[in-house]
Amino acid sequence: MDQIQNTYRVISNEKLCPQFWRLSFEAPALAREIQPGQFVHIRAGETLEPFFRRPFSVYRAQRYVEIVYEPIGLGTRLLAAKQKNDTIDVLGPLGTPFVLPPAGIKQVAMIAGGIGIAPMLILSDILKKKKYEMLLLYGGRTRGHVYPMKEFKDNGVKVYIATDDGSAGVKGRVSVLFDKISRDSSTTFIYTCGPSVMMKAVQDFAVKHQLKGQAACEEVMACALGACLGCSIQTKHGYKTVCYDGPAFDLEDVIFH
Amino acid sequence: MNISVKIANITFKNPVTVASGTFGHAEKYYNLEEVKKLGSIIPKTVTFHAQAGNPPVRIWETPSGMINAIGIENSGIDGFIQTKLPNFKKIGVPLIISILGHDEEQFVGIIEKLNQQEGIAAVELNLSCPNLKHKTLVAQDPQATAQLVKKVKSLSKFPVIAKLSPNVTDIGEIAVAAEAGGADGLSLINTFTAMAVDIETRKSRIGNFTGGLSGPAIRPMAVAMVHQVYQAVKIPIIGMGGIATAQDALEFIIAGATMVAVGTMNFVNPRAPLEVLEGVVSYMKEHKITDIQELIGSLKQ
Repeated sequence: MDQIQNTYRVISNEKLCPQFWRLSFEAPALAREIQPGQFVHIRAGETLEPFFRRPFSVYRAQRYVEIVYEPIGLGTRLLAAKQKNDTIDVLGPLGTPFVLPPAGIKQVAMIAGGIGIAPMLILSDILKKKKYEMLLLYGGRTRGHVYPMKEFKDNGVKVYIATDDGSAGVKGRVSVLFDKISRDSSTTFIYTCGPSVMMKAVQDFAVKHQLKGQAACEEVMACALGACLGCSIQTKHGYKTVCYDGPAFDLEDVIFH
Repeated sequence: MNISVKIANITFKNPVTVASGTFGHAEKYYNLEEVKKLGSIIPKTVTFHAQAGNPPVRIWETPSGMINAIGIENSGIDGFIQTKLPNFKKIGVPLIISILGHDEEQFVGIIEKLNQQEGIAAVELNLSCPNLKHKTLVAQDPQATAQLVKKVKSLSKFPVIAKLSPNVTDIGEIAVAAEAGGADGLSLINTFTAMAVDIETRKSRIGNFTGGLSGPAIRPMAVAMVHQVYQAVKIPIIGMGGIATAQDALEFIIAGATMVAVGTMNFVNPRAPLEVLEGVVSYMKEHKITDIQELIGSLKQ
């Protein structure tokens, strides 16, 4: 990448399921360089409203770079209005990616809640080359928050779903699916992304069974370049920026609230 | 065309700088060839001791701006000199080092350490620090401002710039006090005290409860304050407060700013300082202005 800030052409922007959208844009150099867990920072409009850029985990980086999002605020609603051949102003690739599973790991458990599914597909794209047993435990509020899981299944991922209201998969939080995870700490590795309360439950489970893993964290973000120190979270090693030190952290290090 | 400007005996090749706390030091992210074009760089405020900063949430988006309460997270003056200063020097742009002490002794301690360094153009005193005697900020008390500037000025081998807070009744009075204390220049404005409330939890959005508002939302107030201070003092002003474009910067220059700093907008558009510089130059060409001195404070009645 010659520079971090670029303008790219939108290839498609479509609804994936009732709640979530997928936008893909043409950025060959970015697609080659970005690693699972890294993100892009997008200026959705051209005016000062909304003021901040919006950070998005990269969902997939193959021919095009893809992000998924939920149009709930001003920034994401502007993004949903983008059409093919529109341009978007993007900073990236940004942040510290996931570390890959250490030697000896046989099972990779991806545990995601809501839009926290975003970094898991690109992760499975990389990991499928290494013959792990891959699980995706996904928690959504309703059936409308559940993705079509075809792309995960095509990667050989075993998908388990829980919804708060039981309208898809089993009823309950994603923690009802934890029994799918092998409890052998020498062969199982966890990746998680989602609401803090969910990742706290994952961390508690991991600590109980001495499992290691990685968490992709989120915080209100301004610059995304490690300059403003606005997106710091508490970790066992003091405050760390989500944008620069993260988004991916060792699961055991993050102090969730 | 001359776009160089001076503060004390320091010449800056152009009037565009970046406000303290808004410019990253991550070399992997900036384009060195572009950053070299800046007139100056003002790194994030350095304190005497390292500071961990405030608990999250540290920032909140507001209409055309943001509230921040970072808490001056930094590695302290020793850490700064060891790890950050060498990288900033490599850029080759004049450095204005922003410093904050929690009392006069800490300011003195920082200055003594900086005095041993080369390659610094000036120091900027962040006066939004506690005024221990009066439970206000130094920047809110003309006497405390004059006294602190005088003390630092008596010790510093670098020119001293005082950064003023807008959270005062009469910023002109504080500016006059800083000038009387011997300041070589003034930076204004710092952020406005602000807060945002989560109406569901009825808690502040900000971990530190209150923070400072910056961004284009404060720009018209900043322009008015630069204008007011320009009338009151003779020393040069670095104008800042929500500058996003060259047009914004020109407002400050015409109102009386010798230099202009892009701050919060760096977070939205990292190229903003260079776009400001390019835009100021094209404006001067268009208006057949050959020396930026003709523009500074050229506001008509």
